[in-house]
Amino acid sequence: MLQNENAPALIQIRDLAKEFDPQSKNTVEALRDINLDIEEGKFTVLIGPSGCGKSTLLYLLAGFEKPTRGSLLLDGKPVEKPGPDRGFVFQDYALFPWRTVLGNITFGLRSNGWSKADADAKAREYIAMVKLNGFENAFPHTLSGGMKQRVAIARALAYNPRVLLMDEPFGALDSQTRKHMQQELQRILMQTNKTVVFVTHSVIEAVFLADRIVVLTARPGMVKGIIDVNLPRPREYTDDSYLDIREAVLSLLSEEVEKELEMDGM
Amino acid sequence: MLKRKAALAAIPIVIFLLGWEALSRGSLLNPYLFPPPTTILMELGNLFMKGMPAQSALLMHVGMTLWRVLLSVVLGIVAGVIVGVAMGLNRAVYSFFDPLITVLMPIPGIALAPLFIVWMGFGNQTIVSLGVLSAFFPVVYTTVAGVRSVDPQLVRAAQMMGSRPIGVVLNVYLPWAATYVFNGVKLGLARCWMTIIAVEFVAASNWGMGYMIWNAAENLRADVVYGGILLLIVIYFILEKALINRLESRTIARWGMIRQA
Amino acid sequence: MLTQEPVVTQQTAARSVWGVVRFVYPFVVVALIWETALRLGWVQSVSLPAPSQIAAEFWRLAVTQGVLWEHFSASFYRLAVGYFLAVGIGVTVGALLSLSPLLRGLFEPVLSLLVSVPTIAWLPVLLITMGLGDRTVITTVFLGGFFAITYNTMRGIEMVPRNQILAAREMGVNGAHLFFAVLLPGSLVSLITGLRLGIGYAWRALVGGEMLAAMIEWGIGKMVFQARFFNNVSIMFVGILLIGLSGYLLDRTFLRWLEMATVERWGMVRRR
Repeated sequence: MLQNENAPALIQIRDLAKEFDPQSKNTVEALRDINLDIEEGKFTVLIGPSGCGKSTLLYLLAGFEKPTRGSLLLDGKPVEKPGPDRGFVFQDYALFPWRTVLGNITFGLRSNGWSKADADAKAREYIAMVKLNGFENAFPHTLSGGMKQRVAIARALAYNPRVLLMDEPFGALDSQTRKHMQQELQRILMQTNKTVVFVTHSVIEAVFLADRIVVLTARPGMVKGIIDVNLPRPREYTDDSYLDIREAVLSLLSEEVEKELEMDGM
Repeated sequence: MLKRKAALAAIPIVIFLLGWEALSRGSLLNPYLFPPPTTILMELGNLFMKGMPAQSALLMHVGMTLWRVLLSVVLGIVAGVIVGVAMGLNRAVYSFFDPLITVLMPIPGIALAPLFIVWMGFGNQTIVSLGVLSAFFPVVYTTVAGVRSVDPQLVRAAQMMGSRPIGVVLNVYLPWAATYVFNGVKLGLARCWMTIIAVEFVAASNWGMGYMIWNAAENLRADVVYGGILLLIVIYFILEKALINRLESRTIARWGMIRQA
Repeated sequence: MLTQEPVVTQQTAARSVWGVVRFVYPFVVVALIWETALRLGWVQSVSLPAPSQIAAEFWRLAVTQGVLWEHFSASFYRLAVGYFLAVGIGVTVGALLSLSPLLRGLFEPVLSLLVSVPTIAWLPVLLITMGLGDRTVITTVFLGGFFAITYNTMRGIEMVPRNQILAAREMGVNGAHLFFAVLLPGSLVSLITGLRLGIGYAWRALVGGEMLAAMIEWGIGKMVFQARFFNNVSIMFVGILLIGLSGYLLDRTFLRWLEMATVERWGMVRRR
């Protein structure tokens, strides 16, 4: 594994395993022997067949779930519960319906002791960054899916977490909006230079966004292979320079998808 | 269309009132038991003017009842929401209180009146305590359901952003449960209103609409009884429309959270 | 299948025993704390009897004297008469209103206004016009059940899908046959809701009516109310707890089986 010898990686995952219902006979082994370093400022994509535990891995990083074995370090400290050193973007947005766009984005800042005036000013910066000027006082139910996800991204970035965790954030969007949001995300991240861990099942999305793609095996999820994507940014969908990377990811993935189909008895 | 509807609805009421008036004036109905509607309205007017200009007897009765209802509903909601949130968040608290509430909830407030009269005597303490209890149970019940149905992603989102547990309760669980709590408040208001009127029958010492009606019944003043009941209908109608519906349109309707029942 | 059945019943039996324990234990805990607090003198009050005193009072009323059953049978007689009148008339009126647009236009607004009148508020009127006896209490019970049943019957029949009715008409089903074969089963979810609400309201109305109608002698509400005159708080507690328990059981047993046998079996509502 590539690793900077001088500085330890931002996130260090060691011998991580996760089982659900470990005491019962319905135990599901979701993750096994995961060892992974996630470096500062890099965009890491977790990809794998459905049910491979990629979202579980993200939930462990978030502190929503606790590992059965192994350790998970962020900045050298073990991850135990959710906290503002991380930001999370959900597939279904998880915006607070009773708060306006501005109210949703200031929530993290206010929870961390910012004054109302400072929080509002900060939130407006991020509203501008995600191009939602004029929608400050709109309630979420009046926005389209793409706009909601912009709010969610701004909300997760506004309080400046060390790492942004994204769980299939564009999975609920139509393909046009989805492409557009991928480009927007790239633009935003080039401004903020944020470390991102991103879960998806779309190879195209992975290759377009990632600095590094981690392919997981079918259940139980293990690291099948890691592919670095050293292409310049900003990337364009018209670029076809990464077709071979796409091929490489697909070939790793297709073995696993077949395995999964066999397991299901198909 | 709307006018036609109103006209149609008015027909039976008008016929009923005119028939009553005629039968009563013609003494085909006993005018002591069924005084003509015009007499009832006149008597309401008399009661309104009584004590004027310093005060109005009718307004004193109405005001006292409304004050008791409002105080009871507010206290009942506060207590109900607190207990409901505790039950919704904690399984042990839930399994302890749920059976107690299931058995205590169907007890009508009036059934508790004799006990509370022994404990607290006649008057406001007894009336308001029973009012609080009757508003409390529906609110607890619905708050629990609301808190338990919370979207876990919203809780996670709030925790992720560094919200403390109390902040998560205030900013996520409570607003989420608002739709449910509103149903509880509606039910609670209805039950509280009912209980306060009924307990005023037996436990009020001089003011209150229940007291007014009951006292009139004992003195065979049928006109005051009917007038009082007419007033009960009108006031409750206003209470529900003005209070609950306005609150609803300012909150959950604005948040896009109204669901079709 | 057959060999598996006893296992299943054993499991459900075990579960229901566990369910009863879980339901009863909070009452035991409260009673124990209450009893201890009084015995050790933490709380002192002449008007707060210990659970043991209440239990003794219950024993006296139920067994030694046996008057409890007289009170109960008087109450249930009134409840039965008033409630079944409410069901019969309420369902009929509700069905008529839902089937005739003219009748509905005429009477629905009045009805929805009258629904909001607390049943107990009718009591003074009844006391004046019908006297202080049984008739008044039964009429109160009737009024308590009537509005909820009428309203929900009407709503239920309105909600029967139009195409079900058309399909039945197509097959030549009409009149009473249409009502019993299509409209009644189709509206049953709402109708049962009305019946359940109705029995709850009727029960409350009964208790209130018994307390306030001076000329009746028996009835569980009367028992509680009269206890005030000789300051017997234990009787009040017995009566109040039985009122709560009966209200709960009426809701859970009397109409639950109807619900299970019909709408739940037909998959119209989720099993609870």
